[in-house]
Amino acid sequence: MRQRQPRLVVAFHTTSAAMATEALCRRLNLAGKLISVPRQVTSDCGIAWSAPPELRETLELRLAEAGVETAGLYELML
Amino acid sequence: MRENKWVRDYGPIVLAGLITGVAALVLTALGNPKNMGFCIACFERDIAGALGFHSAAKVQYLRPEIVGIVLGAMLAALAAKEFRAKAGSSPASRFLIGLVVMVGALVFLGCPLRMVIRLGGGDLTAVAGLLGFLAGILVGIVFLKKGFSLGRAYPVPAAEGAVLPGVMAVLLVLLLAAPGLLRFSEEGPGSQRAFWLVSLIAGALVGAAAQRSRLCMAGGLRDAFLLRDFRLLSGFLAIWVTVTVGNLILGSYNLSALSQPVAHSQYLWSFLGMALAGWGSILLGGCPLRQLILAGEGNGDSAVAVLGMVVGAAVAHNFGLAGNPDSVVDGTYQVGGIGAAGMAAVILGFAVLLAVTLTHLPKKEGAR
Repeated sequence: MRQRQPRLVVAFHTTSAAMATEALCRRLNLAGKLISVPRQVTSDCGIAWSAPPELRETLELRLAEAGVETAGLYELML
Repeated sequence: MRENKWVRDYGPIVLAGLITGVAALVLTALGNPKNMGFCIACFERDIAGALGFHSAAKVQYLRPEIVGIVLGAMLAALAAKEFRAKAGSSPASRFLIGLVVMVGALVFLGCPLRMVIRLGGGDLTAVAGLLGFLAGILVGIVFLKKGFSLGRAYPVPAAEGAVLPGVMAVLLVLLLAAPGLLRFSEEGPGSQRAFWLVSLIAGALVGAAAQRSRLCMAGGLRDAFLLRDFRLLSGFLAIWVTVTVGNLILGSYNLSALSQPVAHSQYLWSFLGMALAGWGSILLGGCPLRQLILAGEGNGDSAVAVLGMVVGAAVAHNFGLAGNPDSVVDGTYQVGGIGAAGMAAVILGFAVLLAVTLTHLPKKEGAR
């Protein structure tokens, strides 16, 4: 059984930004995966990026450099 | 521990599916058309008829279920402090997509929610619609992966987000205080209706449950295919199972492809109609039910999509695009479906969705 673990969840205003994040992280070899945005984050049913919390600063920097707009970063137990 | 996680992840969405399924069964038992306890497309079409936007005499009634869904979602969102007025995400395109989704749904004779309810009644003709819906969603996912986006929405004054709920409240007042201003079917599906208060409460319960759980037919399949996340899909399945079990208990389950209520056996066009609905729903970010819920949460773009659907219903009936159910005339079974105009509209609908899709793809790699 998988244990819950802390994750950094990056929420977006658009699905395309989530897709762009996935492509960016694949290119930069940064760990993470697309997930359905957790209910505790928003009532929207969009797509978010889930990554190890230690990547927060790297992700913030890289996403800003790439011009990917986020709707918030959250550290959650998933 | 495992059970708690399952309940936390799947409990609300399965409960929402259960509530929706039971509400559909109750509404049918109390007067709504068979296998149509709930149908967002059909009920918005009935509302369009009640307001005189089309003159198909058999499908005119101001369905309180739709009013209830929007107001129920709004109340749930307000209670949870999740009512957020926002708008500005390609409203004109959303209007057009909503119109096309409605035409596709009325070609099939039902929205994705009714598709599940038809399947739960044993209607095998709906399988063609399910396959088409899946195909449409897969097409939409392909373009999502290519970066399709209608753009983000921005915060707007709360009053902007309250427009559709306000319109719904006014419609309810019209139904109760000035019914003479509205049209009411005297025969056909529009004449079959549960008592208005029961419809309103059922709609509100479904609206509130769907807001809390994010119940969405298209989103469930999108998440399952794109993310291997089956939570939203479990709501879809819960409706199907609930309606199936309920119909079996009530003795109204009829596993057949013949003589199903308000359904036709023109399978190719059922497939294509729901493919339109599926593709369009992915572009909109949710099925017709979800658009009502989002509008109730204050999303002005979804309100515009709903208005597009209402106009689409009027267009579908004014121009003879909607499907006709199979029927028995003088002892002969006659296959219904759509005529040449409906077929042309479906093809045009695909062209419209393709044009909207292509014009909202990133112009270069890495664009967002």
